[in-house]
Amino acid sequence: MNQLRSQSRGTTVQAVLLAIVSIVLMFVDQRFNHLEVVRSNISVALTPLRYLVSLPAHTGNWAGEWFTSFRDLVNENSNLKADSRILNARLQKMQVLQAENTRLRNLLGSSAKVADEVIVAELLSVDQNPYRQLIEINKGTLDGVEIGQAVIDAYGVMGQVIHVNQHTSTTILISDPEHAIPVQFIRNGMRSVAFGNGSSDQLELRYLPATADIRINDELVTSGLGGRFPADYPVATVVAINEDLIHGFVSVLVKPQARLDSSREVLIIKPRNSPSPR
Amino acid sequence: MFKLRYSVIYLSLIAGIILMILPLPESVKTYRPDWVALILIYWSMALPKRVGLLAAFIAGILVDVSQGTLLGQHALALVIIIFINQNFYQRIRVLSLVQQALYVFLLLFINQIVTVWVEGFLGRPTPFHAFLGAPVIGMLIWPWVFVTLRDIRRKAHLS
Repeated sequence: MNQLRSQSRGTTVQAVLLAIVSIVLMFVDQRFNHLEVVRSNISVALTPLRYLVSLPAHTGNWAGEWFTSFRDLVNENSNLKADSRILNARLQKMQVLQAENTRLRNLLGSSAKVADEVIVAELLSVDQNPYRQLIEINKGTLDGVEIGQAVIDAYGVMGQVIHVNQHTSTTILISDPEHAIPVQFIRNGMRSVAFGNGSSDQLELRYLPATADIRINDELVTSGLGGRFPADYPVATVVAINEDLIHGFVSVLVKPQARLDSSREVLIIKPRNSPSPR
Repeated sequence: MFKLRYSVIYLSLIAGIILMILPLPESVKTYRPDWVALILIYWSMALPKRVGLLAAFIAGILVDVSQGTLLGQHALALVIIIFINQNFYQRIRVLSLVQQALYVFLLLFINQIVTVWVEGFLGRPTPFHAFLGAPVIGMLIWPWVFVTLRDIRRKAHLS
């Protein structure tokens, strides 16, 4: 019995020590971001596991593509060519508009807007903490990804990069409860902030005055304020307006444009310039 | 002192981490049992000298890195439950699997409480129904985990 007692006393000291180390680690990680390097290095060791787990989903996709019929491929090919021609035609118009925009800005004395460079990436099919909305993508520091870069899919803004490793990065989605993105209404230029609340089909605009001019189906784009997200990328559309007349506020629910729970390919934006003030 | 047979323990923990990051549909994500905790509880019961608090701490850090949680969150929870386990396992080892499962539920519940409490501290409250789901599922699969790891342990001749 004595041996058992002394054994448990030794481990008590060890337990308390490890508990204190854990708490200190959490504190440092939360407050100071110094542990980014540590986390990144440990993450490198876990990268093969992530790719392993992602393998079935990717193999499934690959097998699906491999077994598509020839006729389907020919049809898809001609559809894509047609889309490409239409987009190229629109692009020509846009280049003219961009040039005109630059000239006008020069006339006003503002700095020109430069197109952003993008990195194409794919989602790794791994799950993280179920209470957060985090995704893992297959590009890292070796591909030029940095913390704070915006991530978008073909339809709108998805989130921003919060951790980078050599080959993979973690992105926080705009639907994460800890995330807030500065937005602007296209129709009337009104600015607001869209908060995530954990569901991938809903964001919240909080604390807007009840007199604000908002309609269902209004479109929101990034406003560029805060310097994290480049301006003018689509974010969401208004779906519901809840009035709180007692306090004089409205809470607006918006549906994100990006396919937050189904997109597999994403683009990471490398800003060339900091956004010019509007 | 390092024998290749002991790598079975580490491999099973890595399998646990893999099970934690396996993609699941959105609706069942919060019911996923804490595989790493279950596997750690077994090994610290079977080989208490080999798998102790330090192993719990390191496993916890690995889980934190793979889950994107704060470094030390799962480490703290696992150290606490393995510490409790170290003081009680001798009395629990002799019980039936069903009774052990209840004990394991308690440990998993404490594991969950610590993790959720930290999340609460950071301002991210957790829905209550989700909070209980994972320990219950963990309790239900404990007999299977126990028997599987025990067979692996016997095949690897570890004691």
